[in-house]
Amino acid sequence: MKISKVKVCVLRIEGTNCEEESYLAFKRLGAKPEKVHLKQLTGADVTADEKRSLSDYHMLVLPGGFSSGDYVRAGAIFAARMKSRLSKDLVDFVRAGKPVLGICNGFQILVETGLLPAMSGVMSDVPEAVLGTNDSGRFECRPTLLRKVNRGRCVFTTKIPEDKISLIPSAHAEGKLMFPIERRDRILKELYENDQVVFKYVDPEGRLAGYPWCPNGAVDNIAGICNRDGTVFGLMPHPERVFFRFTHPDWTRSPDGSGDGRAVFESVLDYASKKL
Amino acid sequence: MSADKLYSRRATPFELVDIDLASATDPEIMEISRESGTGLSLEEMHRIRDHFSAKGRSPTDVELQSIGQAWSEHCCYKSSKVFLKEYVFGINTNAVIDRGDAGVMEFDRDHAYALRIESHNHPSAVEPYGGAATGIGGIIRDVLCMGAQPIALVDPLYFGPLDFPFKKLPKGIKHPKYLFGGIVAGIRDYGNRVGLPTVSGGVWFDESYVGNCLVNVGCIGIADKKDIRRNAVKGPGDVLVLVGGRTGRDGIHGVTFASAVLTKESEKESRGAVQLGDPIMKEPVIHAVLEANEKGLVNGMKDLGGGGLSCVVGEIALAGGCGAEVDLTKVPLKEEGLAPWEIWVSESQERMMLSVSPRNVDDVLHVFKLWDVPATPVGKVIPQKVVRLFFQGEKVFDLELEFLTAGPLYCRPCSVARSARNRREKHPKAKARYDKELLRLLADPNICNRDWIIRQYDHEVRASTVIKPLQGKLGHWSHGDAAVLKPVEESFRGLAVATASNPFAVGIDPYRGGKTCVDEVCRNLAAVGARPHSLTDCLNFGNPEKPDRLWQFREAVKGIGEVAKALNVPIPSGNVSFYNEAPSGAVLPTPTILGCGIVRDVRRCVTSDLKGEGNTLALIGATGPDMGASAYYRMTKCHSSKVPDVNIAALKAGMEVVVGGIERGAVVSCHDVSDGGIAVTLAEMCIGGDTGAEVDLSKIGKLRADARLFSESNSRWVVELRKGKEKAMPKDRRARMVRLGTVGGDSLRVSSGKLLVDTDTDRLAKSFNETLWRLL
Repeated sequence: MKISKVKVCVLRIEGTNCEEESYLAFKRLGAKPEKVHLKQLTGADVTADEKRSLSDYHMLVLPGGFSSGDYVRAGAIFAARMKSRLSKDLVDFVRAGKPVLGICNGFQILVETGLLPAMSGVMSDVPEAVLGTNDSGRFECRPTLLRKVNRGRCVFTTKIPEDKISLIPSAHAEGKLMFPIERRDRILKELYENDQVVFKYVDPEGRLAGYPWCPNGAVDNIAGICNRDGTVFGLMPHPERVFFRFTHPDWTRSPDGSGDGRAVFESVLDYASKKL
Repeated sequence: MSADKLYSRRATPFELVDIDLASATDPEIMEISRESGTGLSLEEMHRIRDHFSAKGRSPTDVELQSIGQAWSEHCCYKSSKVFLKEYVFGINTNAVIDRGDAGVMEFDRDHAYALRIESHNHPSAVEPYGGAATGIGGIIRDVLCMGAQPIALVDPLYFGPLDFPFKKLPKGIKHPKYLFGGIVAGIRDYGNRVGLPTVSGGVWFDESYVGNCLVNVGCIGIADKKDIRRNAVKGPGDVLVLVGGRTGRDGIHGVTFASAVLTKESEKESRGAVQLGDPIMKEPVIHAVLEANEKGLVNGMKDLGGGGLSCVVGEIALAGGCGAEVDLTKVPLKEEGLAPWEIWVSESQERMMLSVSPRNVDDVLHVFKLWDVPATPVGKVIPQKVVRLFFQGEKVFDLELEFLTAGPLYCRPCSVARSARNRREKHPKAKARYDKELLRLLADPNICNRDWIIRQYDHEVRASTVIKPLQGKLGHWSHGDAAVLKPVEESFRGLAVATASNPFAVGIDPYRGGKTCVDEVCRNLAAVGARPHSLTDCLNFGNPEKPDRLWQFREAVKGIGEVAKALNVPIPSGNVSFYNEAPSGAVLPTPTILGCGIVRDVRRCVTSDLKGEGNTLALIGATGPDMGASAYYRMTKCHSSKVPDVNIAALKAGMEVVVGGIERGAVVSCHDVSDGGIAVTLAEMCIGGDTGAEVDLSKIGKLRADARLFSESNSRWVVELRKGKEKAMPKDRRARMVRLGTVGGDSLRVSSGKLLVDTDTDRLAKSFNETLWRLL
């Protein structure tokens, strides 16, 4: 399929607030993104013109923000609303090999929905992980460096060389990836064996480092994970914010080249154009 | 005394009271004013009495309340307008597209930007979290109701010292640390949730703010020119659609609370005047309003801020040359049982009024339904310039708009303050070396690194913040002068945003201080490569009924207007906040200036961090012994009345040299010289670049060593020049460029004949970085 035919559903509800830049990232690369309200998929309060079906799209993006204020728990309300009405559509979507991307709040939503880490199957009934409050106890808006540790499974990072360090900034209060204590080691082992760990927070020398390079205290410095097929990907940092070089936090020191986040969108569009 | 006998309750199923002003004695009239909470003066009450006598009836409580809102200082600028008219209105009005709730300026051929700043001081002093959060909410609506998409927030804050002794805290006053924590959290939670980057601001500390902290909030928006709307109805027949949050008892008497001094009773009496914010109502309101507007369904709109419905209905109708009839029964409420006057004046948050042609009403309601935002037609526009209100079938209000909106205007007396001007000059002893002084200045709460605050605000959401508030090599952050946004996808044109204030200078010499504030905002904008394009100001002063406070206001406004006029930079919006006083006294006179500038190509912008070993450092602008209000004199407890003045020709020329040098690629980093003088400027540039510099100040004029290092003369910048490009710098004899030295090494070495400073950059950074983390 040509990239210009790839239809991307950028899904939003009240409080989703990174939809515009997520939409633009795909548009700039020639794909066909559309900002879609969850109610357009569920059919509530919409006209026939406005109604959409998830199966019309080739890719689903859950952008960052504070969906429903992140009250209850980050991403919990969006996830519950989605899961109660669209469970089957979501499972079919993932089974068809169509990619799903969750950035920041989107990652939190994917975890709350059970689409990540999805240790057994496509979608777990209850969340198997949580993105907890940062160790600092504060919202942290700061540049973060991510080393790609994925060995090739994740379709969102195929254009990033292994071990490359990318500057992809973070902005969240709840980004500490954690697993249930009693199952933690087993889940981690499986994640590594399945090549589901994608990005880790590192310092400028590429070492796994503590705060502030790891802004939240995530287990093993993990910033992003994918499902077993590598088609569902969630990460806390914001690749859409560094699509261009000139939005890198230190770009005036080295102004040439493209933004580090661009490769994430290029990778998945490459996958879509070849496999869908 | 009681005025009970003058109130007669009408036989309605809800509370409605006729007030017999005609038979009231003067003391009774003042009692009525006090009991109503409106704070109207005797003279104003007489005007109301006479007006109703001529109509042959008594005012209702709804009417009296409404007039109280409309005639408050906050709403009608009755003490300030005469000075604003004289000094700041009318500058380069050709460039201004509209001056409504926010000012609107041209960005490029097809786009316009909106800007506004205002205060939310008293609510934040009583309830810091909610006060600050709803301040953000309000300023967003001011920009939104022009038809613009809000794109950035600005938050200048003023507090008492964070380590202020609890023992000295006046009764009923909250500790600065508590206020600081709550206010930063309120801004963080509202701004982040609503998805707008907080890109600029500032924090100032001074004991005068202990009794009355200041919270100023600014917002910038962008729009296609075709989507810009006036805050006006189109004509008779328009339907008034109230959208957004429900109306409740929160935020009653907010404007009258803002128009009186704080007392130790404020907590008890006025907590209800603070609104409750809900960013997750605001976020979809923004989407729905913009969507309805872009579809061409909205004729005009206005936000419900101070005075709530009582102000918005009259103003939006009158602006279109009309009046309105409103049925208060239709207003969606948070709880049952509100009296009509409460519904009418409540300042509950997240509400906007849309004026819509009847044929478009259903389409508008549909857009809001999708976003689960309440939208309700509550009234209609009528040709007569009157407002009539109905509640459960009863007419409760019938007033001519020309009377309601013709608030009094005062030319109150001014007299020179017993200001610091007469204080004895006291100068610090000369020293051989100034390393310790520099380290102390870097650690000064008024100078130190603000990363503790800035990193809690999302300053990158919307992905268009090109120049960010913290700048430097990864892990080595220092302050920048202005933020730059790239608001239009198809264009590299940038909008720079900077904030400036210098309450210390204004406190000593309000006229020169006012000029200094404008100079600072302009040099901040120029430092990133922007030409100043518009200003908006938030003027925070004391009680205008005291002649010395009003004199400070007049002088500051005069100074601001003079520089803005000379630069031909308009001030299309602004806000005055008086009565910033507690029993402990008035705050320092504090004008906050928010400036917007245009950058031709954001890819040319520069930051303040030093870039390359061996590059030349130079100073642009002249240095004089201007130590009045300087950070160095404040730190050493010295005093000088010689506050820096502004040489407008030098400012203009300096900006052209700096911006020209940036556009030609000759300048690779730039930082304006302000608090702490050249020494602090250089230190911040070194800290951000994680490098040292070797500097010789002997050629900047005949001055004492401490003045060379720490003078705060206006219109100056330090620039780093790209090797081989030095000759490309524009030349202008009115803004001389002096070579200072070179970038390199691990320490900042400053000499003038002999060595004055030689300190490792790591040590400078440690001093600069630790203060807020230690105090909080």
